[in-house]
Amino acid sequence: MKRSGNRMELPLTALRNGESGIITSVKAGRGRGRGWGFKKRLMDMGLTPGTKITVVKSAPFHGPIEVSVRGSRLALGRGMAERIFVEKEG
Amino acid sequence: MSEKKLTIALAGNANVGKSVIFNYLTGLHQHIGNWPGKTVEKAEGTLHFKGYTIDIIDLPGIYSLSTFSIEELISREYIAVERPDLVINIVDASILERNVYFTLQLMELETPMVMALNQMDMAKKKGIKIDHKKLQNLLGIPVIPTVATKGTGIYQLLEKSVEVIEKGGINPPKRKYGKEIEERIRKIAKLVEKIQFRYPARWVAIKLLEGDEQVEKEIRKINPEILPTAKRLAKEIGEIHGHSCSTVITSERYEIAGCITREVQEILPPIRPPIRERLHTLTTHKILGYPIMAISILAIFYSIFTFGEYSSRFLSDFFYGWQPIFESVLGVKIVGRLVWGAMEGIIAGVTIALPYILPFYLILYFLEDSGYLSRIAFLMDNVMHKIGLHGKAFIPLMLGYGCNVPACLGCRILETERERLLAGFVVTLVPCAARTAIILGLVGAFLGVQWALALYIVNFLIILVLGRLAFKALPGEPTALIMEMHDYRAPHPKTVLMQTWFRLKEFIKVAFPLIIVGSLVIKLIEVIGLLEPIGNILSPITVNWLGLPAITGITLIFGVLRKELTLVMLATLLSPMGGIQVLTPIQMIVFTLVTMLYIPCVATIATLVKEFGLKKALFITVFEVFFAILVGGITLRLLMLANLF
Repeated sequence: MKRSGNRMELPLTALRNGESGIITSVKAGRGRGRGWGFKKRLMDMGLTPGTKITVVKSAPFHGPIEVSVRGSRLALGRGMAERIFVEKEG
Repeated sequence: MSEKKLTIALAGNANVGKSVIFNYLTGLHQHIGNWPGKTVEKAEGTLHFKGYTIDIIDLPGIYSLSTFSIEELISREYIAVERPDLVINIVDASILERNVYFTLQLMELETPMVMALNQMDMAKKKGIKIDHKKLQNLLGIPVIPTVATKGTGIYQLLEKSVEVIEKGGINPPKRKYGKEIEERIRKIAKLVEKIQFRYPARWVAIKLLEGDEQVEKEIRKINPEILPTAKRLAKEIGEIHGHSCSTVITSERYEIAGCITREVQEILPPIRPPIRERLHTLTTHKILGYPIMAISILAIFYSIFTFGEYSSRFLSDFFYGWQPIFESVLGVKIVGRLVWGAMEGIIAGVTIALPYILPFYLILYFLEDSGYLSRIAFLMDNVMHKIGLHGKAFIPLMLGYGCNVPACLGCRILETERERLLAGFVVTLVPCAARTAIILGLVGAFLGVQWALALYIVNFLIILVLGRLAFKALPGEPTALIMEMHDYRAPHPKTVLMQTWFRLKEFIKVAFPLIIVGSLVIKLIEVIGLLEPIGNILSPITVNWLGLPAITGITLIFGVLRKELTLVMLATLLSPMGGIQVLTPIQMIVFTLVTMLYIPCVATIATLVKEFGLKKALFITVFEVFFAILVGGITLRLLMLANLF
């Protein structure tokens, strides 16, 4: 599923409002429990590698990000969104 | 099991209209409780259909059957171990793909099932057309289209469910993963089949490949040799795909769900963004969102507390009006006073339950059903992160400023037990309306508003610090917001009313006995003349450590019953000495601070017991008493040092 080449992997937070990307990977977090549960939860909500994700908008002051994925609208905490990597769509 | 009794469980994502269907099916024949030993609500109900008595279990709304939350664990254990005769999978037709993903997981549990393709009207509004017959063929389970809010399709749903059960409850067909995964599932399943285990072997094999901690733990107890094999096979799959095995399996499941969805649905998006979309944009707007939120919250507060105060006083006056009659019948001797003490407990309960909790539940369900709750959480997320919680916790915290009881109950909207406990603890530190009355009535009235404000700020800082400390101390994963913001919709009034009514009933059942016993104990202490000795026993704390008059010990004990009583009692007890004015400014501040921080009232303790169990409730209570005394004493010494007065 990984397509390397001249395309770049970016964290989801690097996308501007209205931009879309294809999910390449979700990194488990640091620290206690290493965030296995949260990674699984993101997958269960449909954020699997290869899925198209659109950033709708971000809440101010580094708040959560609103995304649209597989026809549903989700709010993701900033820390969560930083661990989701995407390939920006042209 | 008798012949005519059936059990059907309702399962599905959150916000798919599950509670609407549940209420439609069971009506007034329902019972709300908790799953044994858990803070997760269990809704059960019965109905009669074609000569059967059917027990309906409303499972919590979940997105998966992994172990992310207790709800998921409870659901899968219930389905696999208790084995209901049938599971009705309720599905939101407007977000079909993610819902089918969940359906596939239910099918893996090998339970007989029927799908209710709900919210067909919403889907239609969004321009989504679904061929339900085709969906039925592709999935291999019966699919019934429904519009629960109008009652459409519910009869057919029941009819089909009973039909499936009568046919012997056929298990749904098995979905195949990729060849390399299937091979390995079979290998592990063979090993699992040899041991006695309460879950289906194939399901266990899949879960082991996914690295499910709970299943691993249970298998380790029976036959630990299976685990290394499973780990090795999972690693092999990971190597083939370049992603962890858990990711690969989830992706494949979504792949299947995606294929099915594309086959059966057709989307013709509406040209003009509908009102609910514009409403969403407005309420989550980076600038406008906040004033809208502030106005909505203030309006809610204002209405709950105007209503609450008015009706609380009305009820209180009404009940206390009976006191003379009571006394003339039972006398003012020990028995009479004890009975009246129990009555006071009931009064305390009623004057909280009806005026505050009833409207609170109504509004909470209204906000939740409509979808606005999740927008508030979206806006407040990063503020709440400062105390280790996420956006959703703002709601209970905010409610705490009104009354701690509904605030504790509101902690249920958080996902994990850890978050709930953390929020529950923080909420009890928030000064409720009763404590505000003391702050304003004592410090505000005698020392000026600036001191009252200072106390609020101190309290806020304490919440921040204790919240952070508790967040660090409690084991578990850090919190992060992953929340669905479903489309705005008009809440279903009947469902909101029923939800409110049955939860209020449940609250009364659990909290009232505790409140009554609590007030009886305090009355007993008073009647047998122990009040003054206890006041004296407490004097090392009240007099020596806190620098307060000895009689404040008595008022603090009574404050457990109702916080606002402390000020009234203080005034009464001090009146022979010249009224409240005899207190020094420092004493006023210390007294108010202690009152603000030591355990909320008995009703809150009862709620904590109900939500978190006796042990945790006791721990929070004892901690807060000690903490309040500690802070009070330190403040006294600091203020004396500062020499401000």
